[in-house]
Amino acid sequence: MKTLTATALALILSAAAFAAPAAAEGKLTISSPQDPGGWDPIDTFLVNWASVATNVFEGLTYRGPDMELVPGLAEAWEELDEGKRIRFTLRQGVTFQNGEPFTAEAVKFTFDRLLGEEGGKGPQQSNYTSIAEVQVIDDKTVDFILKEPDPVLLTKLAGYGAMIVPPKYYAEVGDAEFGMKPIGTGPFKVTSYEPKVGVKLEANPDYWGGAPKLSELEYRFIPEPATAVAELQSGGVDLVIPPTIPIGMIPTIEADDNLEIVSTAGPTVAALRFNTRDGITKDPNVRKALIMAVDRETIVSSILAGQAETIGSFQGKDSFGYSADLQPLPYDPEGAQKLLADAGIQPGATVEINTRGNDSTFNEVAQAVAAYLSTVGIVATIKPYETNVLLNDIIPQGKTGAMFQQSWGGWTFDYDNTAYAMYHTGQKWNPYDSDPELDKLLEAQRPMTDKAEREKLLQDIAVYAADRALEMPLYNLNAIYAINKRVENFTPAPDSRLKLNEVTVK
Amino acid sequence: MSRFRSLEFILGAGITLVICGLVLASGWLFPDVGKIDLMARLLPPFQQAGHPFGTDPLGRDVLARAVAGGKISLTVGLVSVAGSVVLGVIMGLVAGYYRGIWDVILMRFADVQLALPFILLAITVIAVIGGSLTNTIILLIVSQWVQYARLVRAQVLALREREFVLAAQAIGVKNRNILFQHLLPNLLGPVIVLMTLNVANNILLESSLTFLGLGVDPTIPSWGGMLAEGRTYLQSAWWVSVFPGLAILFTVLGLNLLGDWLRDQLDPTGRTER
Repeated sequence: MKTLTATALALILSAAAFAAPAAAEGKLTISSPQDPGGWDPIDTFLVNWASVATNVFEGLTYRGPDMELVPGLAEAWEELDEGKRIRFTLRQGVTFQNGEPFTAEAVKFTFDRLLGEEGGKGPQQSNYTSIAEVQVIDDKTVDFILKEPDPVLLTKLAGYGAMIVPPKYYAEVGDAEFGMKPIGTGPFKVTSYEPKVGVKLEANPDYWGGAPKLSELEYRFIPEPATAVAELQSGGVDLVIPPTIPIGMIPTIEADDNLEIVSTAGPTVAALRFNTRDGITKDPNVRKALIMAVDRETIVSSILAGQAETIGSFQGKDSFGYSADLQPLPYDPEGAQKLLADAGIQPGATVEINTRGNDSTFNEVAQAVAAYLSTVGIVATIKPYETNVLLNDIIPQGKTGAMFQQSWGGWTFDYDNTAYAMYHTGQKWNPYDSDPELDKLLEAQRPMTDKAEREKLLQDIAVYAADRALEMPLYNLNAIYAINKRVENFTPAPDSRLKLNEVTVK
Repeated sequence: MSRFRSLEFILGAGITLVICGLVLASGWLFPDVGKIDLMARLLPPFQQAGHPFGTDPLGRDVLARAVAGGKISLTVGLVSVAGSVVLGVIMGLVAGYYRGIWDVILMRFADVQLALPFILLAITVIAVIGGSLTNTIILLIVSQWVQYARLVRAQVLALREREFVLAAQAIGVKNRNILFQHLLPNLLGPVIVLMTLNVANNILLESSLTFLGLGVDPTIPSWGGMLAEGRTYLQSAWWVSVFPGLAILFTVLGLNLLGDWLRDQLDPTGRTER
């Protein structure tokens, strides 16, 4: 008994000894649905790459969960030559996790690699083609020379392909090895990566923003939601990140006293887009009638458990180009019936809705939409496709039914990313429509450097698209995190790019 | 022994008849089976008068859907098995009896077919010809006839050297008659066992296809589709998937009992291996 007490006492003392000096003790285990297969910034476009890599790498700018663009590895910047040159003043005294200093040369190396032959093999280069060249002015100054002004560039420098990489280390280990053992300037360093299983990170005590408050991070790749939730319930993981948790599992998590759901409006918006070329949906009034026939508020509050918000255009409220003035069309079945009657649509007219077969939540939504349409005399059938077939064949080739699912979201939260792809003539996602007026608007906003002017134009585009009822805007889905209550100081990132240096565990 | 066997028949036939009867009468029993009511989502079973088995995530009655869902599932299960049996048995008989070039061609073809994983085949085929009930059935037939062909061929190889076949050949019975009158009845036992297993299996395969979005319109209920829909609700609303699951269970049980009994009737001395 005595020895037991003594042991216990020793344990408590040693635990206290460890806990006292170190804010940097504790491990957080995270379930991520996807293994990106490597960590090189120029080789990926997966959001779950960024869920890990935001802790490892940094860019010249930084955008956190509050969506404000703030200085990252650059302390300041100014736009010169009417937006065709951006001058960055670099942060001093920053080192990479292997001790290599962060310099102007590293910035130049990063973008030479991204825009050169190496970057051409990956998917990131195309996002940064507005950059003509990076010039080193002195140790702490670089100039970005642009081919044309790019209003979204500063945001794009906060993520993915623009993450600064260490030139010496890269030269030492080579390309393949760098993808497996990445080194950046971020608060955590990758210690081991096992493909398909997980990746382990340890704190970088020399991080310029202050040592992180956790000593260890472990990401486990768990694609199956039921498994991830079971692990969360059993304590095997502390945090399940999007896009994992299906709406249907939220009650299960909320019923558990140790767990909770934290969510925030995410980048993903969902709509049923119309075939504006053929059939009854050729008529904008019919399209409006179909929108009015569907009670989107009820769909959001019931099927989506309130984890979404209805939208009036194809963007969420965090999107640049959103305007609160543009409200969704009201739910008005009588008005819809009148519009249909005026358009000469007989009761019993049919529409086909195409969905992604493996998206269980959206298939429920589509069935509810079909039920609402039946109340105004439209017979809707649902034809699901395998996701890749729908995205790479059915939609681009214009082989859809009258309506088809489009789930969309870009981490830049800029409406241009959506509107240009959806509405501009000849785009992959726009098989049916061609509107010279709209094309002109879309092209006009791209080179604008005046932020307010550009925002106004993007808002006008949203109104224009809504007037033509080019799609049935449904909702902006939340980014849903399930978390163990022992985790503290966690802020859900709308774009799933979590930086965990301020998080602690009990 | 015989009492147990007749009990098997009564249970098997009883369960199968009740399920088939209910499924056939579903249109009359539940006229508004697909009615969506978002105000009555996920009601638990045994509490609401109108919904004895509760409601699903769209507020539809689970009992009505579980009964109506049998139409698709039983059609797929039975028709696809019947189709692959006919195709597989003929191929197996021909290959095993005539040997030679037919055997080589058919069996190498079967090897190739077995090397293709079903889901891969399904995704490819559905991507090319599109998803529908007929296509799902054809796909299942194409992917499963091989099993019957191999089974039958192996049986024929053993039987063709037996005295009754040699005797039939000696007195000049036509090959076609030997195949269908002498060989076929003697190898039906294992085929029937495999059939009863495959009906269940195909109901489940139909469900995985529906789950992957390769199957039929989700507004038309099917057991597999209901299981897939209820999966994410398993912990919070078990009834959504448990009742269609039970429907599959009892269907399979009934068919297996019936198949077992039938096998014994066709092969009373238990000559063929079980």
